[in-house]
Amino acid sequence: MAIMMPASDQAVLARRAGIIAALRAIVPGEGVIDTPAEMRAYESDGLTAYRQPPMVVVLPDTTEQVSLILKYCAGQGIKVVPRGSGTSLSGGALPLEDGVLLGLGKFKRIREIDFDNRVVVTEPGVTNLAISQAVAHAGFYYAPDPSSQIACSIGGNVAENSGGVHCLKYGMTTNNVLGCEIVLMSGEILRIGGKGCENAGYDLMGVITGSEGLLGVITEITVRILQKPETARALMVGFAEVEAAGECVARIIGAGIIPGGMEMMDKPAIHAAEAFVHAGYPLDVEALLIIELDGPKIEVDELITRVEAIANGCGSTTCQISTSEAERNLFWAGRKAAFPAVGRISPDYLCMDGTIPRGALPKALARIRELGEKYQLGCANVFHAGDGNLHPLILYDANKPGEIERAEAFGADILRACVEFGGVLTGEHGVGIEKRDLMPEMFSEVDLNQQQRLKCAFDSQGLLNPGKVFPTLHRCAELGRMHVHAGKLAFPDIPRF
Amino acid sequence: MDTGSVVNTLKVRDAKDVEEVVRAAIANEQPLEIIGHGSKRGIGHAMATNAVLDVSALNAVTSYEPNELIVTLQTGAPLHDVLSLIDAKNQQFAFEPVNTAPLLGTPALGTIGGMIAAGLAGPRRIRAGGARDHLLGAHAVSGFGDSFKTGGKVVKNVTGYDLCKLLAGSWGTLSVMTEVTLKVMPKPEAERTLLLRGLDDAAANKAMTAALGSPFDVSGAAHLPKSAFRAKTEGLGDLAGQGEALTVLRLEGITASAAHRAGSLRELLAPFGTATLVEDVASAALWATIRDVLPFAASGALGAWPVWRIVCPPASGATLGAQLARETGGDVIYDWGGGLIWAALPPKADAHAPAVRARSNAVGGHATLIRAAEDVRRDVDVFHPQAPGIAALSERVRASFDPKTILNRGRLRRDVAA
Repeated sequence: MAIMMPASDQAVLARRAGIIAALRAIVPGEGVIDTPAEMRAYESDGLTAYRQPPMVVVLPDTTEQVSLILKYCAGQGIKVVPRGSGTSLSGGALPLEDGVLLGLGKFKRIREIDFDNRVVVTEPGVTNLAISQAVAHAGFYYAPDPSSQIACSIGGNVAENSGGVHCLKYGMTTNNVLGCEIVLMSGEILRIGGKGCENAGYDLMGVITGSEGLLGVITEITVRILQKPETARALMVGFAEVEAAGECVARIIGAGIIPGGMEMMDKPAIHAAEAFVHAGYPLDVEALLIIELDGPKIEVDELITRVEAIANGCGSTTCQISTSEAERNLFWAGRKAAFPAVGRISPDYLCMDGTIPRGALPKALARIRELGEKYQLGCANVFHAGDGNLHPLILYDANKPGEIERAEAFGADILRACVEFGGVLTGEHGVGIEKRDLMPEMFSEVDLNQQQRLKCAFDSQGLLNPGKVFPTLHRCAELGRMHVHAGKLAFPDIPRF
Repeated sequence: MDTGSVVNTLKVRDAKDVEEVVRAAIANEQPLEIIGHGSKRGIGHAMATNAVLDVSALNAVTSYEPNELIVTLQTGAPLHDVLSLIDAKNQQFAFEPVNTAPLLGTPALGTIGGMIAAGLAGPRRIRAGGARDHLLGAHAVSGFGDSFKTGGKVVKNVTGYDLCKLLAGSWGTLSVMTEVTLKVMPKPEAERTLLLRGLDDAAANKAMTAALGSPFDVSGAAHLPKSAFRAKTEGLGDLAGQGEALTVLRLEGITASAAHRAGSLRELLAPFGTATLVEDVASAALWATIRDVLPFAASGALGAWPVWRIVCPPASGATLGAQLARETGGDVIYDWGGGLIWAALPPKADAHAPAVRARSNAVGGHATLIRAAEDVRRDVDVFHPQAPGIAALSERVRASFDPKTILNRGRLRRDVAA
């Protein structure tokens, strides 16, 4: 394992039997798992290159149990790693050897559907898709749609601020959650926000969203639901050059059109996807755009015409427009299967997740090609083109000595390039452990210290999910220290107050 | 550094100046009031300090990239100028920032920093989100006297904690923002407003709920009860002339779509009456009137009345608003489909705070005393008192940015000694 995790506390490990007994007193029966065989299911999340069995797994099913577990662990100085469905691609739920893995899988109930206020109040273990299914009979849905929506939990979505192909128009998780019940590491249970548009005071919900399980354990979430658009149609447009596809994306946005989704694939990704799902993708193009327009039929038809004209103006070589739901779904089938499709052409792959300004796409892809030559590894690119979120899939073979290290170095260089081009390290997968040690590429020590001070406001002992997000851990007392330069004021013209 | 005409106003030139001033303030244990144009100084509790950090000279447009849908600005940039800049590219801040000048009776000023720090969003909040949803990145100086950055210059980013969410709506109590990157969105080609007359608050709330629960993508849902027209109100033209309540629903987008959806929505709303149509310029004026709460303008008949801004679950709006109006003899206006109530209540020493807060709490809402005389604000909590656990966490969050309470000390809470 290339990533260093916080040193295990041997004193805690020595007390394992007593800790397990104490947890059993809180969560009786099968809610505490401590055998190596049974714990194996929890030893990694979607970032499978990293594995670590936890000290013990506990699966509470009430908020009170979560509170008691955290209070007990805080009192005993025991680390806790929260986990939803374990689909994180950045290692956010990677267990610690000396930590309790707190699974929220038993929080599976939707507590309230309130159509008048257009919200659903749900427990965190409910899957993203299940929320949409629960309100579909009334024409509603929950907008953020990460690719893993069939499996990922809404609690995990809040922790990671998950996106999806439709977030260009409908926003990420943070734009679609209104409130939560959260348990702090101290065991304190708090309710934040509710069914109104805005919370009172500081936007705590906003900062909890995307905090990667470091601030608290969420036990209930209130999400916004929307009416499904009347219809959706898609265009599938091929280009002989990546630059032309990038220009097309810029002109669509420039024309004031915000598509429901706008995805790009490069040649290796197109070929892998076509071989897998036979969606009818053109194989002689360098870039393929899938552009989906949704809304009332009259609007969609009009925008399809406008987008087609823009694509023609950018020199598209092929353009197909869906005329049925089946055809639209077929266009998407290849894109949605892009990861497994790449899995078929390569023994292993690493999925990266940087964001760049849209305009930097051609130079970013050129850089990725150069890096591929340098590291002697293939790379297929899928790209949420509308919002600049790039997913290079680096192809490697873990059985070949040195390839995973080369793939990781390649990936790190891609993310450095994203920052260099004015972008960021992660658009939707989170920092976790995967991008943790790259954080200084984007943030100074001062920036990171301010973030860690916020962590201290929620978890003063640093026991909740330590080792994720931040490359260097500091004690809260150290972070809170002020460096006052009394008597050495540099600006003589500052009036003495 | 220009020390300005008022002796204790420090007009900073750059982020470095801000650091110096904050560090000096820390060393001298002297709190600072942070201002841009000072247009919202009347909101919140009076701060017992005469040391003012003025960012209005930090007014540059750092970069504007219409095709990337982002603009990066120094926080002292005048809002009016920025709106003109992006309007020239047919873009806008989709959250419709409220212009508080008419309501507060202040000159028509305001900066980007003030817009974000106050976080007051207009009618499109229900569809496009608030200021917090459009702040992508920020550079700021914390109460440690250190410049830090958070977020980025791209629309999709989950790298590190999203401190932007905390800065938006923090009223200058966490950090001094020096530069922000904001999302801009294309302006809609057309807007159509359906107008229903004569509904009582409860029926209007039901009509708005039906509209917002429809697939017609409603981008504004407001109700002006009859009594809201006791003052002559700009922007309403002849609409208010008949002395009837107005319920208005807005549809935006490409022309054919807005017109089509207006037709469909009119059918859906038939049980509430026959809706008439208001288009483009007249529609825009109407929504600006609602956004800026012009019926309660400082220059109008209710100009001396305290005004509350109440956020609540939208379907509870009419019950809450009608109760308050009845109990106090005040007036209310509903926006956000009932989820935002502006309440102008007759003058009283406590601005009717016990009734407003009790009624708000009963439905899970919260209330801010947005306009009141200074002596009223001395005795009444301007911002909604929070549950003890949330209040304690919020204080720890605040202290994690500003442990010595240098920045806007006492603005949010009466119990913070100056």
